[in-house]
Amino acid sequence: MADLLNVEARDTTGTLRMKRLRKSGKIPAVLYGHGEECVSLTLAKKEIDRVVGHGGHIVELKGAVSEGALIKEVQWDAFGSSILHVDLTRIDATEKVEVTLPVELKGDAPGTKNGGVVSHLLHELTIVCPADKVVDMLTLKINDLELDQSLTAANVELPVGAELAGEATDVIVTCNAPTAAAGEADDDGEAPSEPEVIGEKKEESGDE
Amino acid sequence: MAQMPKRVKHRKVQRGHIKGNASRGNKVVFGDFGLQSLDTGWLKAQTIEAGRIAAQQYIRGEGKLYIRVFPHRSITSTPLETRMGKGKGEPEYWVATIRPGTILYELSGVTEQQAKICFARLAHKMPFKVRMVKRRLM
Repeated sequence: MADLLNVEARDTTGTLRMKRLRKSGKIPAVLYGHGEECVSLTLAKKEIDRVVGHGGHIVELKGAVSEGALIKEVQWDAFGSSILHVDLTRIDATEKVEVTLPVELKGDAPGTKNGGVVSHLLHELTIVCPADKVVDMLTLKINDLELDQSLTAANVELPVGAELAGEATDVIVTCNAPTAAAGEADDDGEAPSEPEVIGEKKEESGDE
Repeated sequence: MAQMPKRVKHRKVQRGHIKGNASRGNKVVFGDFGLQSLDTGWLKAQTIEAGRIAAQQYIRGEGKLYIRVFPHRSITSTPLETRMGKGKGEPEYWVATIRPGTILYELSGVTEQQAKICFARLAHKMPFKVRMVKRRLM
């Protein structure tokens, strides 16, 4: 399901001009791919925030350019709160694209009733999928996850025609009993007061 | 027990200046929620440990806490009632250098409400302004 993005052509470049552009509520973007020319674009901040907010990957561009595109990369500021720049790549509806999608856990694991803790180890999966079938999020049902069991990438529901780009044996979620001293330092009380200095010569006891 | 490096190249380092925002370690990677610093400063190893204890007392084995910073830097001081001079003091404690945007702790396996309460308790221990952030989708 493609989101609609209104785009304007951009002929300005440079840090200062882009800062001014962002202040006016617009985001610089670039469109490339399929061996065609690279085009500099401007997006409305509100529109791209909405698309990225729900995890949309496929967009339909309208305005200066009218074609389908995949959001290849989003650049964020240091606080991860506002978008600085967006990379878009041209796609056809039938074309297979490689996308990294977040994995969402659904349901309640029965293992938690027996004292287990669900650990979500892998939060993203890369799949190769027809462009028109790309979803916002992959789901993994954990309704059958018992204590001391794990679910792998093979258990994830993939869109029609999609396949995993990575290993199917990658563990995504586990349910294990909590360890008593999880994360706590279990020292013997003989921890050195100072670290060892690399390359420091130790005093030699034996002399000739 | 407070953390410190096992091996170092130099026991003492110059004070330096902390410039700019965090360009690494500024994204929630392991958990679902993170505690992000909004200021620059040094975070003592004892403070990191105090934060860990405060968080783990609240989550009580329900979720998982990740500590994203490590005290790599030694801070020296001259003992009390010592005359000036005679060289640089001895390493006293260890700190992590924090830039605005650095993720300090992460939590997984808890609800948003639980994470909010947990990070609020943890924020009291921190020597600078912090805020809770969620994992980004893209």
